[in-house]
Amino acid sequence: MSADMQREFANREALIAYLAQQFPQAAAAADEVPPVPGGRRAAEARLKQITPGKAYSASRNYLNGAVSRLSPYLRHGVLSLAEVRDAALEQAADPAEVEKFINELAWRDYWQRVYRAMGDGIWEDVEAYKTGYAAAEYAADLPEDVAAGRTGLACMDAFSRDLRETGYLHNHARMWLAAYLIHWRRVRWQAGARWFLTHLLDGDPASNNLSWQWVGSTFSSKPYYFNREALEKFTDGRYCRACPLYRTQRCPFEGSYEALAERLFPYAEVAAEAAPPPRKKR
Amino acid sequence: MQTILWIHGDNLSPQNPVFQAAPGAPAIFVWDEALLRDWHISLKRIVFMYECLLELPVTIRRGEVAREVVAFAHEHAARRILTADSPAPLHRRLCRQMSQHMPSGSRLEILHETSFVDVPGNIDLKRFSRYWQSVKKRALNP
Ligand SMILES: Cc1cc2nc3c(=O)[nH]c(=O)nc-3n(C[C@H](O)[C@H](O)[C@H](O)COP(=O)(O)OP(=O)(O)OC[C@H]3O[C@@H](n4cnc5c(N)ncnc54)[C@H](O)[C@@H]3O)c2cc1C
Repeated sequence: MSADMQREFANREALIAYLAQQFPQAAAAADEVPPVPGGRRAAEARLKQITPGKAYSASRNYLNGAVSRLSPYLRHGVLSLAEVRDAALEQAADPAEVEKFINELAWRDYWQRVYRAMGDGIWEDVEAYKTGYAAAEYAADLPEDVAAGRTGLACMDAFSRDLRETGYLHNHARMWLAAYLIHWRRVRWQAGARWFLTHLLDGDPASNNLSWQWVGSTFSSKPYYFNREALEKFTDGRYCRACPLYRTQRCPFEGSYEALAERLFPYAEVAAEAAPPPRKKR
Repeated sequence: MQTILWIHGDNLSPQNPVFQAAPGAPAIFVWDEALLRDWHISLKRIVFMYECLLELPVTIRRGEVAREVVAFAHEHAARRILTADSPAPLHRRLCRQMSQHMPSGSRLEILHETSFVDVPGNIDLKRFSRYWQSVKKRALNP
């Protein structure tokens, strides 16, 4: 039997110092502290501020959009999906006004159900990649430059730093970073999924691994990818403006969806068909 | 019957069904040393969870989860362990280990929180769109 861990702290700094000393391996790997506090009180305060109606559905795909940022509290059951849904419905005269938000909550419920059915199988490719490449053609490990935020791509390096420093990334940033790793760097999704789980405050094997598989195409009918124009639009251009690769016309994300598909998936059956429509963001 | 509560990282709420089922019963949370190591969990995640724990009436320990929980039950002469459900296979393994190491006549009960939506047992989980089609109405009109 181990000793009780401490429960009384003078302040947050004292708590953090105590935990860094208790868990030196975790602190050595990444010693950043969370920008948002844990706990039910903080969760309820956040819940009071959500705008799940039109503000959400119109802006959620933008990096500065009106998303709820409830994910760490939902992940750890500090709030339940049912009570967040009920709070959203209270703000609506008609449930249809908050349907998009509730649909996103449903993604979490769905992944949890799949997890219950698949168990540790969520670490395996659910299906084969539809990229024209076999799993063995993907690298097993996370490239050092991506982990360190030193690829030279202003967007990806910022996402990598944000992930490490804040433990949070906007959904769109997660999708782009995952697509970059899997499709441009040809790294197995599992390497990226492990990296995310180390850092995300909402890191959840089900939502995380299955979303990675969705991007990779091992749990969807085609790979998710994006182009520079889309990224520029949903980030208000802030990364492209700061990016040396864009200025020198060496951005690897530049091009139409058709041209990118030919470059990224030259052997894929879907890509060989006449121009597939750009993958719709869910 | 004397009861203890096992609180885990998927249910760190004071509204946790186990607190409601046995108010005032001794509760324990155990940091799983193996899991922290294997998953390279970063300090910020630990701090976040610890802040959640500090708002709960719970004893915090670290080590091997099943062993620590059973020892805690023993300390309190408890024959009943209550815990909240989780989809994680690790949760099932830990429950099994606990059951094996509890004295005979003891029991472990798993409680469920209000679900987001009740779904038929045979629901199609192959793609989200199929799942959403079958639950949408109830999800929007609970
Ligand atoms: C590669 C990748 C990895 C991801 N890993 C995780 C993860 O580890 N944990 C996690 O909770 N989410 C994960 N997501 C889903 C999603 O990005 C986050 O839930 C969302 O960005 C959290 O921000 P928010 O709370 O402001 O979301 P909001 O848009 O405000 O949504 C409200 C809540 O709905 C749920 N939700 C929303 N979108 C999704 C989604 N696509 N899948 C599952 N749940 C969703 C979350 O619980 C979220 O808090 C991942 C997505 C991708 C593409």
